[in-house]
Amino acid sequence: MMHQTIKRDGVETIGNPHLSLEGINKKYGLVEVISNLNLEVRKGELIALLGPSGCGKTTTLRMIAGLIAPSAGKIAVGGRDVTHIAPHGRDMGLVFQSYALFPHMTVAKNVAFGLEMRGLSRADIANKVAKALSMVQLEHLAERKPRELSGGQQQRVALARALVIEPSILLLDEPLSNLDAKLRDEMRTQIRDIQQQLGITTVFVTHDQVEALSMCDRIVVMKGGLIEQVGTPHEIYERPATPFVASFVGRTNRVKGKRTADGCIRIGSSMIRSATPAGQDDVVVMVRPHRIHIDWNATSTEQDETANRTAAVLSRITFIGDVIQYHFDVDGSEFIVEESTKKSQSSHRHGDKAVLSWSVEDTLVFGADQ
Amino acid sequence: MTTATFDMPVGAQKPSSTAGIAVALLLPIALVNAIGFILPVFNLARMSFNEALPGGGIAEAFTAANWTGLLQDSFYIELILNSIMVSLGITLATLLVSYPIALYLHRASGAWRTFLTVLVISPLLTSAVVRTYGWIALLAEQGPVANVIASMGFQPPRMMFNTTGVVIGLTEILMPYMILSLMAGFGRLDPKVEEAARTLGATPFRTFWRVILPLTLPGIALGCLLCFVLSISSFITPKLMGGGRVFLLATEIYDQAIVTLNWPLAATLSMLVLIIFGAALAVYSRVLRMIEG
Amino acid sequence: MFARLSIAVSALTIAAVSSASAETVTLTAYSGIFQEHYTKAVIEPFMKKYPDITVQFYSMPNSAQMLGTLRAQKSSPQIDVAILDVSVAKAGTDEGLFDKVDESVSANVKDLYPNAHAEGVAGVGVTFDNLVIIYNTDQVKTAPTSWNALWDKQYEGKVIIQAAPDIQGTTFTIISNKLAGGGDYKTDVSAGIAKIGELAPGVQTWDPKPDVYAPIANGQAALGIGWNARAQIYSGTSGGKLGVALPEEGSGFQINTINLVKNAPAGEAAKKFIDYALSPEAQAAFTSEMFYAPTNSKTVIAQDALKRTAADDMDKMIDIDWLAVAKVRDGITEQWRRRIIPLSR
Repeated sequence: MMHQTIKRDGVETIGNPHLSLEGINKKYGLVEVISNLNLEVRKGELIALLGPSGCGKTTTLRMIAGLIAPSAGKIAVGGRDVTHIAPHGRDMGLVFQSYALFPHMTVAKNVAFGLEMRGLSRADIANKVAKALSMVQLEHLAERKPRELSGGQQQRVALARALVIEPSILLLDEPLSNLDAKLRDEMRTQIRDIQQQLGITTVFVTHDQVEALSMCDRIVVMKGGLIEQVGTPHEIYERPATPFVASFVGRTNRVKGKRTADGCIRIGSSMIRSATPAGQDDVVVMVRPHRIHIDWNATSTEQDETANRTAAVLSRITFIGDVIQYHFDVDGSEFIVEESTKKSQSSHRHGDKAVLSWSVEDTLVFGADQ
Repeated sequence: MTTATFDMPVGAQKPSSTAGIAVALLLPIALVNAIGFILPVFNLARMSFNEALPGGGIAEAFTAANWTGLLQDSFYIELILNSIMVSLGITLATLLVSYPIALYLHRASGAWRTFLTVLVISPLLTSAVVRTYGWIALLAEQGPVANVIASMGFQPPRMMFNTTGVVIGLTEILMPYMILSLMAGFGRLDPKVEEAARTLGATPFRTFWRVILPLTLPGIALGCLLCFVLSISSFITPKLMGGGRVFLLATEIYDQAIVTLNWPLAATLSMLVLIIFGAALAVYSRVLRMIEG
Repeated sequence: MFARLSIAVSALTIAAVSSASAETVTLTAYSGIFQEHYTKAVIEPFMKKYPDITVQFYSMPNSAQMLGTLRAQKSSPQIDVAILDVSVAKAGTDEGLFDKVDESVSANVKDLYPNAHAEGVAGVGVTFDNLVIIYNTDQVKTAPTSWNALWDKQYEGKVIIQAAPDIQGTTFTIISNKLAGGGDYKTDVSAGIAKIGELAPGVQTWDPKPDVYAPIANGQAALGIGWNARAQIYSGTSGGKLGVALPEEGSGFQINTINLVKNAPAGEAAKKFIDYALSPEAQAAFTSEMFYAPTNSKTVIAQDALKRTAADDMDKMIDIDWLAVAKVRDGITEQWRRRIIPLSR
């Protein structure tokens, strides 16, 4: 319909990116908000810019859209340098966090706006608007004003308005943050479906790791104007490059340790092993809570090649619904372990002793000053 | 009476007591309005049906002569039309010069915005008389404006003691009102909406025409209503800058009331101004409904 | 509580009565320099002469506002004596606002010049003033001797005239009508209107502000018309920048009348004040002070002051019947608006 649905193979050479940012730098006065950012996005890829507020992800998106100019660097789309092109010449569809619908126009007029700016005939416009509205299932609301719509409906109008112009890149600025949790889940799927169906290159700004992990082909984790890591959701989750990525994406236990002469790491009185070598003497050890196994009956803390073990004392239980969190004290450090809940209530009490074990593979070690 | 209230359910008392409070709260302003506005307007209306005697006398009568005479006199027809046209011209000029300022102020933020807003409002701290004398000095025959025009090699036009002077003076005097009204009406103008238009392919001009302008129409309507009403009823500036050449309703009312002593005619003209106000208000609410609709 | 209230009320009444018995005469007349000089030349000597009577000056910018105030107070007057223009006094008389000022009020009435009496006006003339040419002495080197100086091309754009309906404009119409050889101003002033029409394109403003004297004194304009008494005062205060000339063709009088307000609270004291104001003594003092010509024929005035009034040129004056003019004034105003002012746009 708009773009030919292309088969995404995921192995398109990154040497020919659809969108590329080279050495992007943005300063406000003396404050540098983006430093030397380099990024390449493949055609048809859905990429997330993920990070806490103030990390520069929205600034980056706005630079791609042309709404703000980078202080240095180059932005190219399909090999064409667009760094100095005004937003109306960039051919990008942007969906704002607040939707930014034109309040004085009907839904149909909102969607038609971009087409009118491109000088299409009235018949073409009517046709495309109808198709775009049906894609987001809003045909029946075409003549309403935005203020008469719910948040989710407004969000879909904003999406239709951005897509109807068949932009070469779709930019989404926290599009789901103003929706309630249930609607957010629905829209996640819907946006991903439409994106897949159109095969449109999409940059998605979010601070929500679940959105990034569940929807995107690749994730760019940003912090303080710098890229921390770029990778697939799996890579980001399983092989976080920095402690920040590890703690920002997914939950994790974080314990200080010391490297010993034999390459092991001492946490309190326990010695553990890691698959990743520690580069420093002072280290931080991270383990995902649900990767830890609790053995309530074992007493042996004998280590082996594949598993770390340590004795622990239960200090608190938190029931969350689908998971239950056990808070353990391990030589003064807290370890949280998550288990799926079962029908029967947990019989464990504060003060119960247990042995925690987890795979060496799951033991992430970072230098303490990272 | 007290026993009756005891029998009443508690909930039933509430509406009547809040209504009582509302009446009590509204009473003072209603009284002030009745004494200070409605009564004088009735007096004025009554006066417009009295008979004017030569030399400033008034005869109690009930005649429509002032009204019919006014509407048959080509001088007054021209004066009324001239007043409306000049006021519309001033309103338009005020809008054109104030709009960019208001838009800039709307987009400015923080201390800079506060500073600029104070700067815009500060002329209101000076009386219109003083500001008008300022313009008289600026627009005088050998004044700075004339000198600048002359230095560019043009013959400076007459800018004072005529309609041009009145328009220039009143435009500047009404600008703060227009800017404040515009800013008050710019609430719907979200910068994100402008950005949305830009990303959808609208040039800055088309963004202005299709998005910014329609969204600022309520402010424009409010500012225009206010400036029209203020300019058609303004008296000091036309009197000082008009040089006796510019015949407007407000100055004519003054002349008839104070110089000629023809109070019935002055009252008739005043009622006419009130009717024009009413018409302006009707147009405004219609326009507003169109915008909002 | 009611008892206390009635005590308060009676206390107030006593206060009001006692203040009335201390005899205060409230005079309404023009504000500004008129108030300043009239107070000095007439009111202060009067209060010295009658220590029991206090004169309060209630100033107003013009006659019309005085009439408006008197109208509003018709049922319970607060003002005792009003000095205002003769045609406005006629309107006030017609509305029954004034009592007749005759010899029963003041013996001086019989000594007044005949044109101090106007048919159908309750009050009598207290000052005469006349229209003069005023000029900026820097721009007009030699004093004009004729009204025709206003039509001199070299002053084009520098002439200021207070247009009709102001009585300066009305008086100027009558003078111009005479200059143009027109007939009786009471029936036809079209010759005068046509003559002013020729002047119109060169007129800078028809409504000089704050008055006609300031723009000429400060050089914004070169020539204009104004009232002699005020012009003489401003001539002094402007350090000679403002010149005053009574043209050889003569001029017309403006008459201020003094009127006794009907049911005036001051009663006899008000009459005493009117009597004093019309006395040769007060008339001479005010003429020397502000150069209004006296209305009392018995007035003896120093020669230097007399030269600065029109009293020496009585024979050259056009006898303007202001009550007749009042009837044609609307017509004159209309002709100004249709046949003079549009020519200057």
